[in-house]
Amino acid sequence: MRADLDGEQDERLAALAAGGDRDAFDALVTRHRQAVYRLCWSAAGNAADADDAAQETFVRMYRSLPSYDPARPFGPWLRKIAWNCGLTARRDRNAGVPGVAGGEAPEAVDPAPDPEEAASDKEESHRVAEAMAGLPAELRMVMVLRAVEGLSYAEIALAAGIPAGTVMSRLSRARTRLLAALGTRTGGGS
Amino acid sequence: MECRETQTLLTAFHDGELPAAERARVEEHLRGCRECAARLADLGRIDRAAGVPDPGPAYWDRFNARVMERVEREADGPKTAVLRPKHGWMRQQLRYLLPAAAAAALVVVIVRLGGMDPGGPAPIVPPSVSGPAASALPAKKADNREVAPSVPPPVLTREESTAITRKERDRPAGGSPPARVEEPSRDRAAAPSAMVVPSQQPLMKYRQAPVEAPPSPAVEGMPSGMRAERKRMSEEAALMADRQGAGNAKSAQRRPASPCELARTLADRERFHEAEAAQRACLVEDLPAPHREKNLVFLAELLDRQGNVSEADAVIEEIRRQFPESLQLDLYLRRRPIVQERQK
Repeated sequence: MRADLDGEQDERLAALAAGGDRDAFDALVTRHRQAVYRLCWSAAGNAADADDAAQETFVRMYRSLPSYDPARPFGPWLRKIAWNCGLTARRDRNAGVPGVAGGEAPEAVDPAPDPEEAASDKEESHRVAEAMAGLPAELRMVMVLRAVEGLSYAEIALAAGIPAGTVMSRLSRARTRLLAALGTRTGGGS
Repeated sequence: MECRETQTLLTAFHDGELPAAERARVEEHLRGCRECAARLADLGRIDRAAGVPDPGPAYWDRFNARVMERVEREADGPKTAVLRPKHGWMRQQLRYLLPAAAAAALVVVIVRLGGMDPGGPAPIVPPSVSGPAASALPAKKADNREVAPSVPPPVLTREESTAITRKERDRPAGGSPPARVEEPSRDRAAAPSAMVVPSQQPLMKYRQAPVEAPPSPAVEGMPSGMRAERKRMSEEAALMADRQGAGNAKSAQRRPASPCELARTLADRERFHEAEAAQRACLVEDLPAPHREKNLVFLAELLDRQGNVSEADAVIEEIRRQFPESLQLDLYLRRRPIVQERQK
């Protein structure tokens, strides 16, 4: 990536990319690919479809750049594309439509150096991942945007096109279901 | 506060989204309730475990290349080519730009000298130019199109020479005659289209994309001063678009930019004072609430970019009054220190 693009805001990079600057486009992809992948995963529910959808997201981003309005924040705009691509990939998978990203199904990489030491965490993560995959898509989305991406309620509301109050209620429902899947306490005390 | 109430607030508390007063009440409850404190700890565990499995560095190493591959595959059609190729893009651009520039220059010459405006009066063609325009251009092209060179060029009237010039220009590169010779509405676009289209898109500015163009605002009922301002803005927008080149000039003549578009174009050129004027003209229009909200926020940003903090504050107050829960404003307020910092 060109050094002069490092500090540029997304909106500026998008304007440059819309003008044909390949480096700016590449910088945007690099900057957002992991967040896009995670969101696609949360929409699609599996790695193969997430890969397909993440690739498709950036192709659609490329197509839509000429009509992107830099006065709108770039992140929510891109996340909306990613979410839609993830849902489409899942629908296509359910309908038997083959993916177009080259059939890559990325393997998950476990960064934990000592599997024995991390066995408990792994088991818990595995169960949560299963429970996440079983959540309704709209709950999974807010969960990923909050717990993984660290977005505020306002930002999630913008990305998902729902009121901030709905964000909170969906998060609450999502966490309750995940806790139930983990078999941990969910009830009240006094 | 009881457990039931606490737990309805616990998600927002955990996410740091509770107002200070409620936060204090929840904290007080948590100090005395192990059950709710444990529930809060569970929320943290869930969030930590909710991470999406990372596909690993090898996957990311190839990710961008695969995206580019797909983008370029999709961009095979010239109308969607936006990105400059990584290797030798300048050369590839020149391959399109040079003929495009030549075509644009030709169009300008023809428009000025050849009377391209079908609705306008026939221009006066100077004798020194009418000769080559009538004979040299077709003769030059005749080399490629196998017209017998022994046939002497006919003596042409001005109208005939113009018509022939159009015919030659409209003829496809392969040399076959055009299906329709006289089609005034195609005239301006016809000459450069074959060569310009591939390069138009790379040069196209995103804000001039007609797809997202806002609807043309109604001017009836607008005070005459505002109408004059709108007209001035539209004329300037058309002028600016004209400067972009022949291809964009065409669209500018068809649809002058609205003040809202113009404001963003001017802001992009860092002409913030003029952008502010355009933005104010934009806000005079009867905009739908979300557009009004967005455009008020943009006005505040333009004022900030000129260092006019007090006026920007006033606009922000107005946004708060009109749109008490404005997300656009919240997002801008997060960026505002950066905007103001740049101004310094």
